[in-house]
Amino acid sequence: MRRVIALTTALVLLPASVALGADLDELLERSGEASYSAEQIITCSTPDGVRDAVVRITQNAGEIRVGAPVDSDLSAASGYGGYTLLRGGDVVSSSAVEAATDEVVPRYVVDDGVPRMFLGRDATLYRMVGDGLVRAELLIDLEIGALLRVVTFDADGQVYCERRFISFDTSPAPVDVSDPVEIEPIQSSNAVTDLPEALGGFTRLDLYSDDDGFTFAYYSDGFFSFAVFETPSVVQLSEPSTFEIHGESYDRSFTPGQVTFSWESRSGGMALIGDLPPDMHQTVLDGLPDPHNPGLFRRLWRSLFG
Amino acid sequence: MTHAGELISAYLDGELGGGERQRLFDHLSSCGTCAVEMEEMQVVRSAVRSLPMMELPPGLIPEADVEAVPLTRNRGFLVGAAAAVVAMVIAVAAILTPSPVALSVDDLNSRFGARVSADPAFGPAKVVVPSIIEITE
Repeated sequence: MRRVIALTTALVLLPASVALGADLDELLERSGEASYSAEQIITCSTPDGVRDAVVRITQNAGEIRVGAPVDSDLSAASGYGGYTLLRGGDVVSSSAVEAATDEVVPRYVVDDGVPRMFLGRDATLYRMVGDGLVRAELLIDLEIGALLRVVTFDADGQVYCERRFISFDTSPAPVDVSDPVEIEPIQSSNAVTDLPEALGGFTRLDLYSDDDGFTFAYYSDGFFSFAVFETPSVVQLSEPSTFEIHGESYDRSFTPGQVTFSWESRSGGMALIGDLPPDMHQTVLDGLPDPHNPGLFRRLWRSLFG
Repeated sequence: MTHAGELISAYLDGELGGGERQRLFDHLSSCGTCAVEMEEMQVVRSAVRSLPMMELPPGLIPEADVEAVPLTRNRGFLVGAAAAVVAMVIAVAAILTPSPVALSVDDLNSRFGARVSADPAFGPAKVVVPSIIEITE
């Protein structure tokens, strides 16, 4: 069994390089390999209001730990296809997947980069452009490649989300090895599904069938990504707003950096979770099964028997 | 038996027993008046039964409403009994059938976070933040 979250992975600081190419995959991959500790502020201007958070991040050679700096015992560890949500050191939720597909045709091009200073460090600012729109700005530390700030934009050029470090330490905190998590990863499958292979400029990379009776597919356009779930029962969101397309209603909820949709289709529950800017929501949802009101008796039946 | 009018009516109403019926038939075979009366009453009854049925306006004959009460009660009882049986079947099935797996937002985050972290581009721009960590509304 593959060890999914390699908490005992040896800390290897990659050699510093100053020769950054303007290639999105290379830039992001390099930022994912950096090691540091930081505090990051996330601010998202959503149609339902501002969603923001301050988190403490420790990144070590592909694994990231994230938690609140104060007043919360909640934290998460992720990397290598694993994600574990912890509360007070106890596992709340844990998942592991085996990715079969890494490659996706990039939808965006990146300009040559402009020198910048950020938190007293030399950095380079890159703009990511797709379909004639600036979709993101990436500020990358020149010495270790860490992604110091990333700003994503809506189609009208307005800032959607900003993640920026407010403190930064290139000596990462030692990894706590007291709570190792090992679970069997879900294998990508070729199960028959109604979920399309291409959706609003996104490519379906992997499809998973879970033992709990639901499937989910992972889509990416090279930068933004989301997962679509087909579930036996409808996922209940906390205090959702209503998002309507062509008179059809979806439950929608924004959290810092993410959006989640939930609705009921003819075949069961459906949900979408990802980091899509709001202008992409309708395009993506249009390609998925429509909401369907099953009526009172069927709701009662489903609530009893699923 | 001089005249069998009462017996004729009772026979046509199906109220005669075997012995009385036999006595009536014995009388009819020897009494032409009663035989004719019997034949005329049968014709009249057949004619009345062949008339089309018409629905009376509600309340026109109070007795009709009174008559309907037992029928309504019977139907209500049957419907109630059927509903009780269906409810009992549903309740038993609900107890015996395992509940469907309910996914929470944490579960969605967990799966999404796992797959995102398998991406070569995984980094601080993509990390999934536990949804409870939020500082303002």
